[in-house]
Amino acid sequence: MESLVLNGLINGLIVGGVYALIGLSLTLLYGVLRIVNFAHGEFVIGGSFLAYVLFNSLGIPPLLALPVAAVSFFAAGWLAYYLLIPRLARSDDPEIMSFLMMYGMSIALAAVMLLMFEADSRSIDYAFKPISMKVGPIYVSTARIVAFGVTVVISAALAWFLYRTLPGKALRATIMNREAIQIVGVDVEKLSAFAFALATGIAGVTGVLIALVFPAFNAFSGAEYSIIGFIVVVLGGLGNPIGALIAGIIYGLAEQLATVFLPQALAQIVGFGILVGTILIRPTGILGWRAQR
Amino acid sequence: MAPERRSAGAAPGERPVLELRAVDVAYHGDIRILQGVSMAVRPGHITGVIGPNGAGKSTALRALYGLLKPVAGDVLIDGEAVTGMKPWRFIERGIALVPQGRSLFNELSVEDNLRLACWSFRKDQARVAAALERAYEQFPMLKERRKHAAGAMSGGQQRFLELGRALALQPRVILLDEPTAMIAPKLAAEIYEFIHGLPARGITVLLVDQNVRQCVRIADHVYVLELGRNKVDGSVGEFTQDADLRSLIAEWVDYRIDA
Repeated sequence: MESLVLNGLINGLIVGGVYALIGLSLTLLYGVLRIVNFAHGEFVIGGSFLAYVLFNSLGIPPLLALPVAAVSFFAAGWLAYYLLIPRLARSDDPEIMSFLMMYGMSIALAAVMLLMFEADSRSIDYAFKPISMKVGPIYVSTARIVAFGVTVVISAALAWFLYRTLPGKALRATIMNREAIQIVGVDVEKLSAFAFALATGIAGVTGVLIALVFPAFNAFSGAEYSIIGFIVVVLGGLGNPIGALIAGIIYGLAEQLATVFLPQALAQIVGFGILVGTILIRPTGILGWRAQR
Repeated sequence: MAPERRSAGAAPGERPVLELRAVDVAYHGDIRILQGVSMAVRPGHITGVIGPNGAGKSTALRALYGLLKPVAGDVLIDGEAVTGMKPWRFIERGIALVPQGRSLFNELSVEDNLRLACWSFRKDQARVAAALERAYEQFPMLKERRKHAAGAMSGGQQRFLELGRALALQPRVILLDEPTAMIAPKLAAEIYEFIHGLPARGITVLLVDQNVRQCVRIADHVYVLELGRNKVDGSVGEFTQDADLRSLIAEWVDYRIDA
């Protein structure tokens, strides 16, 4: 039993790190652009398929796929921003329109991936050496440990960027007061394009990590990650980057420990229990007191 | 007592630094908030905008600063039409806005709030340091609290930070919207003295205010808006001498301008 709990804790941290990155991107997008990105899960799975193609066609291992995904998704995000987002501003209710548009994007992207890769679940047939490592009394796959290391490094780098550099502070300032950032002379359109590109870049990287952490993925896996992402965003407090990172870990731990302690059917509703519970008990999220103004 | 006048008003033909020309602003397509509003900000002066609640004073200011796009009419800087120019480009033209309500980044420190205002020249460390120093020199309490979160300060201190932030950028024009709303009377008096002294430092002022008494006391020229239109405007001399204007103001505020 003890090793089961330890197993749950370790795996909770590992998948929690992935959820934290998804939540962080979504909270940035919502905070800076007021966009509810329902297609984020598909962006993420797009990253998984990129790693799959890079490995199967060119023999590029997942770790080397990380920078490729980061750069290509960042660039694609930049382009997508200028293609899609400024048009939304012409609508009377940009928030609702953005929701509908991204929902449409989500369906369209899933369909494109289905066309390209068919409905079978895929996995990357790449093995680290050794294939697993001993952590205390249990064995954890090396791929998962490597993925967790990468998650920690990326999270730390993002937190440093957002809390210690002026451009990062400008992003957070935009979340705090979108009108004030414009009157102090910051070009909020450029900043928004950067935020969209950054979030998309993180999505690409997250996708590669998912290929390492989870046994398989398919064209329809995206929706599930989007929903988990939104639960994490709400739990962490809307527009709160550190909150999203912490909430991602909490969600991962809750999900993994639930599979240890609860029957399968119950374990699956733990996530939604967290969502409903947060909204009922603490609608501002765990770090929500920071958002009260 | 007639208010002290620093100048005889705008010389004829003197070009306004900032101007609204017959501006209409509409929400949701056809609800007109402003109809044909015109006003001119003369260099080296304090121009006041007063009017009852809902007259469109703040809307006019937001239209002037590019935060709202007029459906008709023009915004001009130094006589050049800039209608539709984005708000963040006004700082480069030397025009700063201190809007109504809170315009600070609450979770960031006082110093970070000031640094973000230096965004357009952020790579020029010497210039950024000089800008910070200007704000601290004007309001020394900001320097003491430079590491504090802006949102943790009192309302008055936050207002000083907003004023210091605008001043740090060495603007030639400052637009102020209700600068003493929700501020304790003693601090408010201090803020009006500060505003009163700006033209002598080469800074032109546009002051939108609910506080008619103070606005008329320090302004050179006053615009009265009502229901989204220009009602009247005139020099402060005209306001204090004209019985009709005095009774007009007495109608919507409980305040009498002494002749």
